[in-house]
Amino acid sequence: MNRNLFFNTVVRTILFIILVFSIYLFFAGHNNPGGGFIGGLMTSAAFVLLYICFDIETVEKIIPFNYVFLIVLGLLLATGTGIIGIFFGYPYLTQFFDYFELPILGQTELTTALLFDFGIYLVVIGTSLRIILDIAEDD
Amino acid sequence: MAFQIILNIILAVIWMLLHDRITLLDFFIGYSLGIILFFIMRRFLRFDFYFTRVIAIIYLILIFIKELIITNIDVAKIVLSKDMNINPGIIVYPTDLKRDWEVVFLASIISLTPGTITMAFSDDGRTIYIHSLHIEDKEEAINRLRHTFEKTIMEVSH
Repeated sequence: MNRNLFFNTVVRTILFIILVFSIYLFFAGHNNPGGGFIGGLMTSAAFVLLYICFDIETVEKIIPFNYVFLIVLGLLLATGTGIIGIFFGYPYLTQFFDYFELPILGQTELTTALLFDFGIYLVVIGTSLRIILDIAEDD
Repeated sequence: MAFQIILNIILAVIWMLLHDRITLLDFFIGYSLGIILFFIMRRFLRFDFYFTRVIAIIYLILIFIKELIITNIDVAKIVLSKDMNINPGIIVYPTDLKRDWEVVFLASIISLTPGTITMAFSDDGRTIYIHSLHIEDKEEAINRLRHTFEKTIMEVSH
């Protein structure tokens, strides 16, 4: 493990900065470059850094997510937000948005497109990490 | 622990710079985001997730307020009763706390709750002599309560 000393120590700090940047990209998608796809890719890139740093068993202890479950959850979220419109007599995938006064955040625009984007975010993380892990675990 | 707090502040500043909005609100959002990230990745950190200690401090304050109210009512009952049927005494209480400020903290909490007062420490400072207003039926209960205080202080400072 000593040969990785430099790498591990740097990753310990850099990882959180990458994660914050990926979350920024995810929320920036509405008005600026960014969105669910690039945000999800960057989050999975941060996790790939972990996999390079440690062995697979250790990382599974650190992030105890089932990636296939993440894909299912993301797809359900994306289709679910599309179906909401049907109940109110609008076509499939109609998006709603409104301005709300939240307790601390003040006036915030909340849209159902964000939930759709979050579904994409989860699917991208799940898919990319599952692909990489399937290749890595194949002996 | 200090490293985590510094990293958390750095993350909040990065969040502010990414949004180009230098406001207290954005600092707050970035800081909470950092806490959430630390919570998700807590097994990756070499030290304990520092926010558990903040929660332990809040828990200690809540326990203290609860004890303060209960013992106040108990003492008021004793003072207002017609025949003061009490059994005062001194409890020798050996503590497991290691550092001096922890013992002092425990002793001051004991003194602040009515009915019990810290009288003296032993020479090595690890045994507390507590004077209690009414012991007979309460020694076990008081000892148990002290153990909850002691346990919470250990969680704060471990």
